[in-house]
Parts: sequence; C-alpha cells; structure tokens
Amino acid sequence: MNRRSFFIHGSRYAGALLAATPVRARAETGRRRLRFGVIAELANEPDRMLRVYSGLLGELSLKLAPRGIEVAPLIITRDLSELARLLAQGEVDMVCETVFVTLDLQQERLVSLTPRLAIVRREQREYHSVFFTNRTTGITALGDLRGRTLVLQASRSTSAYAVPRAELARNGIRLFPAGQPKAPPSAAFYVFAGAELNQAIWVLKGKGDAGAFNEGDWKRLPEKVRAGLVIFHETQPLLRGLVSFRDDIDPAIQRASEEALLDLHHEPPGQRALEQADGITRFERLTARDVDRLAQWRRALRSASGQ
Amino acid sequence: MKLGLGRRYAVYLSAFTLGSITLALAGAGFVSFRQAAILQTQIRNAISTVQSASEEERLRGTAQYLAGRLFNPLFGLDVARLDEEIAQVRRWLPVRDFLVTDADHRIITDGTDAKLSFGDRLEGVWPSIDSGALLLADASGRRQVRFAIQSGGALAGFAAVTFAEDPAQTGLRRIDEQTSSLWTRHRSSLLILFVIAFVFSAVLGAVTSSRLSRSLSRPLADMSRAANAFAQGDLDHPLPTESADELGELARALRTMSQDVRTHEAALREETARLRRAEAERSELLADLGRKNAELERFTYTVSHDLKSPLVTIQGFAGMIGAELGPNAPERIRRDLARISGAADKMQKLLADLLELSRVGRIVNPVEAAAFGDLVHEAIELVQGQLTAKTVEVVVERGLPTVKVDRRRLVEVLQNLLENASKFVVPGRSPRVEIGLRTEPERAFFVKDNGQGLDPAYRERIFNIFEKLDPGAEGSGVGLSLVRRIVEAHGGRIWAESGGPGEGATFVFTLGPECWGEVEAKPPAGHAASSA
Repeated sequence: MNRRSFFIHGSRYAGALLAATPVRARAETGRRRLRFGVIAELANEPDRMLRVYSGLLGELSLKLAPRGIEVAPLIITRDLSELARLLAQGEVDMVCETVFVTLDLQQERLVSLTPRLAIVRREQREYHSVFFTNRTTGITALGDLRGRTLVLQASRSTSAYAVPRAELARNGIRLFPAGQPKAPPSAAFYVFAGAELNQAIWVLKGKGDAGAFNEGDWKRLPEKVRAGLVIFHETQPLLRGLVSFRDDIDPAIQRASEEALLDLHHEPPGQRALEQADGITRFERLTARDVDRLAQWRRALRSASGQ
Repeated sequence: MKLGLGRRYAVYLSAFTLGSITLALAGAGFVSFRQAAILQTQIRNAISTVQSASEEERLRGTAQYLAGRLFNPLFGLDVARLDEEIAQVRRWLPVRDFLVTDADHRIITDGTDAKLSFGDRLEGVWPSIDSGALLLADASGRRQVRFAIQSGGALAGFAAVTFAEDPAQTGLRRIDEQTSSLWTRHRSSLLILFVIAFVFSAVLGAVTSSRLSRSLSRPLADMSRAANAFAQGDLDHPLPTESADELGELARALRTMSQDVRTHEAALREETARLRRAEAERSELLADLGRKNAELERFTYTVSHDLKSPLVTIQGFAGMIGAELGPNAPERIRRDLARISGAADKMQKLLADLLELSRVGRIVNPVEAAAFGDLVHEAIELVQGQLTAKTVEVVVERGLPTVKVDRRRLVEVLQNLLENASKFVVPGRSPRVEIGLRTEPERAFFVKDNGQGLDPAYRERIFNIFEKLDPGAEGSGVGLSLVRRIVEAHGGRIWAESGGPGEGATFVFTLGPECWGEVEAKPPAGHAASSA
C-alpha cells in the first residue's frame, strides 16, 4: 500500500467509524452525497484531521440527512496535488482551505472550483501579512528588498510565503531562492526558516534582511524580539479561509450544504463542532468586496506565477 | 511592703519549688535540644554526602548529550526547534533554567514563549570550546552546568543549564526539611511543654506552699492573736494547746502564765483594796488630827488670850502691893513680890509667844513677791540691836532669788534664826552668820553660824515647842517651833545641821514650788557682807 492509498483508505476506514455518520449513506452510485476533502497538515498524524473535522461532519450529516443528502467520510489527502486530482476526478465535492490554496487549485491545478463561503476563525474573518526588518537595516519599503534576502517560513505557508511572494510580485519584485545564480539584479531572494520565531530571529541575527508573516505572528513574537524589529509594509487583507465547491456538484446539494454550514453556529452542538475544527467561529457568505479582493489576489498570484 | 510570716513562707516555698522545677526543666530541655541538634546535623551530613555523590558525573554526561542535541538547531538558528529541544529536556530532566546563547554569550532562547532574556549577555565563566562542561553553583546553591555547543571544532554557541533538584535530591531535601520541621515542632513542643510545666508548677507550688505555710503559720498567728488579747487584758482568749509540738508547749506555758497573772491580779486587787482602806483610814486620821490641831490651836489661842487678862491683873495688883508697901517693906516681901512680878512677865511673854504660834496657819497674810535678799536685810534691821551687842558679822549672799511668800512671816523666820545665832556665840570667837542659797540636792536657803553648834541627837528636838537645850538661855523655847510652822505653812521643811558642839550650826529650809520666783543676777564672786 503506497502512501496515497494509505491516506485514502485509512481515512475512509476511519470515517466509517464515525458514529455520527448515517450508515445509510454508504457509498452507493447515484445516491446524493457530499464528499469533503482536506489536506493532511502533518503527514505523520493523519488522525489529527479526523479529530478536527469529525464533529463538523457529524453535525453536517444531521442537517443534510433530512434533505436526503448523505455526508461521505472525510477524505484526507497527502498534499495539494492529490486534493486537486480528487477534485478533478469528482471524488471530492467540497474543500475548506486558505485563499491561496484555493486560488492555487483554481489557477495552477485548473480545478473547476468556486469559493462560496468565508471561514471566520477565532472571530477573525481576515488577516494580512506584514513585512518587517531589523531596525538597523534601513529598509523602509518593498523596493528596498531588491538584491536582499527575505526570510520566509516554508513553501506551504500562505501568510509567510505565498502572500509575501504575491505582494512582491504585484510590486514587480520577483523572488528567487537564496544563492540562485541566474537571478536578475532587481530580484529578491528568500530562505526558509521553518518557523515564524526563526524568521524574526534570523532577521535580528542578520541571516536575512527582512521577513514576512501573519500579523498575528507579529503580535505573538516575544517582546524583546519584536523590539529589535520594525514593520515596513502591510499587505491587503486576506480572508482566513474559504469553503469551495466543485463547479459540477449538484446545485441542490451545494445549496443545502451551504445553508447547513451557515446554520451551524446557531446551536450549541454546532458551535462545539466548529470550535473543534481548528477554532472556526462561523461561516459567512462572501461579499462583493470579498470577491473583488479575491480577484486582486488572483491577479497577484498570476503575476508571481508568471516568473 | 511587709509580708506576714505565712505569706513570707509561701513566697519562699513557691520560689524554691518553682526554681527547682525550672532548673529541672531547663536541664532536660538543654539535653533534649542538644541531642536533637546533633541528630539533625548528622542527618544533614548524611544527606549532603548522598547528594554530592555521582552528581558531578551525571551533570557532565548530561552536558555532553545536550551539546550534541543542540548543535544542529543552534547552528541553523532554528530557535523553534531549540525551544522544542529544551521542552523535551525539561520533560526528563529537573531543569530550572535553560539558556542557549550564541558564540558571544548573548541569549538566543530560554525555551519560553516570552523570551524575556533574549539578547542579554550572559556573564560569568564559560568553558573553552574543547574543554568539558563547567560545573557551577548559582546564588541559591543550585547546580549549573555550562558547556559549549560545538561539533567538529565549529562553535555554534553555549548553553547554561541550571538544574532543579531531581526526585532523589528532592526527596533528600524533603527529608532534610521534614527533619528541620520536626525539629522546629519538637522545639516548639518542648517550649510549650516548658511553659505549661512552668505555669503548672508555679500554680502548684503556690498552692502547696500556701497551704503548707498556712498550716505552719496558723498556730503562730493564733498565738500572736492570743498574746495581743492577753496584752489587752483578755486572759480568757482561747489558746491552741492541743498541738503536741513546740507551739503546743508554748500555748500551754502561755495558759499557765495567764493563770498566774490572773491569780496575781486577784491578789493585786485585794492589796489595792486594802491600801485604799488604809488610805481612807489615814485620811480620816489626818482629818481627825487636823480637827484636833485646829481645836488645839483654838484652845491655845483661847487660853493664851484669856490668861492674859488675869495675868495683867496679877501684874497690876503686884505692882500696887509693892507701891503700897513702899520702900520700907520687908525685904522678904519685896523679893516675893519681885518673883510674882517676874513670873507674871515670864508668863506674859510665854502667852504672847503661844498666841503668835497659834496665829501661824490661822491668820494668813496675802502672798507677795519679794526679793529674798530684801527680806534678809529687813530681818537684820529688826535684830540689829542684838547683832551689834554681840558683834555678829552677817554675810548675805548676793543674787538671792525672788520668792512669793507671806512676807511678814518669812521675815519672822529669818529674824528668829538670826536671834538664835546671836544667842549661841562661842566666847572668844568672832561670831559670823552666813545667809545664802543652796541648789544641790535641792534649792534651799540656809543660815549658817559659827556658834556653839548642837549635838546631832538634838537636831529634831530643838524644833519642839518650849524645848530649850540650855535652860538658862534666853527665850521661851517657842521660836524654832514658830519657824518650822511658818516654813511648813509655805510648803517647805526645815532642819538643822551641825558637826557637833562648838562646830557651829546651819539651819536649812526649803519652800514649796509655788513660792519660788526668778533668780537675781549673781555677781561674779564674793558675798555681800552686812556686818553688825
């Protein structure tokens, strides 16, 4: 059994064990089903995703069952590519991901996917990334980063990689890995520090010239560390997360699912299930402003990808 | 404050009891404290020995292991992983502080989220890159190990790990703390016990000594009350004679004494009654004697007065008979008439003296103050003829006092004594009379002559009426009786002193206390002489 099949079959097996899931809704061709797919954050802890989303799926099942919709067991994928493939194959109907993962699925993986709901997590609907530098570097704007090294977290990070990368691209600055010999003089370089705290300390210790991460990470920095740093740029706000549906899903299932998700935070069992799902406060419909900003980020990502 | 016998004994006994028990308790407490302190010291020494054994080796091994674990994250400045490593170490080692520094000893992380010491320079002694771990102790005595985080000669930084106690050490420390706590409680308990025992013994000692002293002092107090009652005349006051001890003997002796006192008191009362009766009888006799004396005086006066008339008649008719007989009357008849006339004169003189004697004490002149010297000179004037005739030298002492007397009578006393002195001169001896005042053994005036003196056997008789030692002497023998009556009428007494016949005589008389006045100023020396 390869790793992919382990995740798929393991998750199906684990999902089957969820008592809250209606047994009648076992995979049967032609039945109305909702399939929820996620990416395993930690490859060595697949059960974490089950723990996180079991409550949510259970509540969703309870709400959709009366409408004849079955909620399938959670589908845990190893990475974004696998998720994209399953979406493309029609094996996953709904995903809850960050803006950039969603945009990546849309633009890079060419998945027919449409964001429908915004995720409010821990009462925070949006966030933005900040660019910071050591107070002694003299960097005051993104343009000062040309030829300098940016300390980022990891390639999988939205706020500490994807967003800064897109923001720089939008400002005409392309990012190259540090030591890249073919980089143009106007480019900036990056290194991965692995953790937000490391980013800050690397900048302080001179292993990089600037860093970027979530505004919340900035606030969580130790006071003495933060004291040596200064923010010189903030990005546009970015939604915390998106609930997206495959475009060819049954509209009735989509509609019913959206209504069920929007209704969860009104009742205590639903609130508990949302809290269990990494601190989701509620789901909200996307506004026109949200859609505009998504379009802006989509363009920025496209710029970054055009390098 | 004066304490009674019982309370004094109670205080003594209480102090003794309390002192003894306190001494015993203090001794026991000292021994207990000392032994407990020795035991605690031994336990501490044992704990210290166990604590120090192999600790150094363990710390060095730990440092070596940690240096290997921390090199990669520190070299890559992966603080998040360093924190994870520190957190991991904290799970299996009793770490109190874990500081990781860069090569300049500036703190990279302390493993906490706050990282309060980030960037601080960690001072102190550090090991070199190729030396082993450095073992230190912080200010609180905790062990600290400092070591270089290096690999293959590349130095990533340093670490300073301060260890809290491990379970074994914690156990030993707790044993030490518990022994200390036990020792403290033991000491507190001993102190409390000491205080309780002290208070208890103080109360017990006070009560016991109070009862003991009361049992001892009560008979004494009873005896004291009885003695006071006896002193106030209550001889019937009960005595604690039942006791068989010395106090009982004392009580019985006191009771015997009270009986004797009662017996003697009765005898004394009887004797007093007898004396009172005798005094009454004496008073009655004196009153009777006074009455008889008064009657005798009245009789003497009456006889003296009444006999005067017939005597004048006899003298008259004897004179008439002599005149009628004329010068030719027979010699025998003239001699007889002369005898009759002489006897009548003598009798008249005698009656005059008797009359005068009877007047003393019956006829009282007013008392007046007079200088005794003036009285003397007045008397000398009255007898001046006799004194001159006998060439008597009279010497009067100067500075004689003032007296409050019947002036006329006292001049009469001095007159009689001067006459008496001039009568009994010694032929061939210049007669001399001295008048003065003695002060010892009592104040008394004296009239001293150098005349014939008198036999001591007659010193009292000469004051009897009509008593004449020399029948041929002049006078009626009433003079000295008169003198004594006058002196006695003034509350004094008179007596005669003489070395014997031919030695001269001194008449000394005193006066009653009410008769003495102020003393005149005496001249420095010598006497005032008044010669005849």
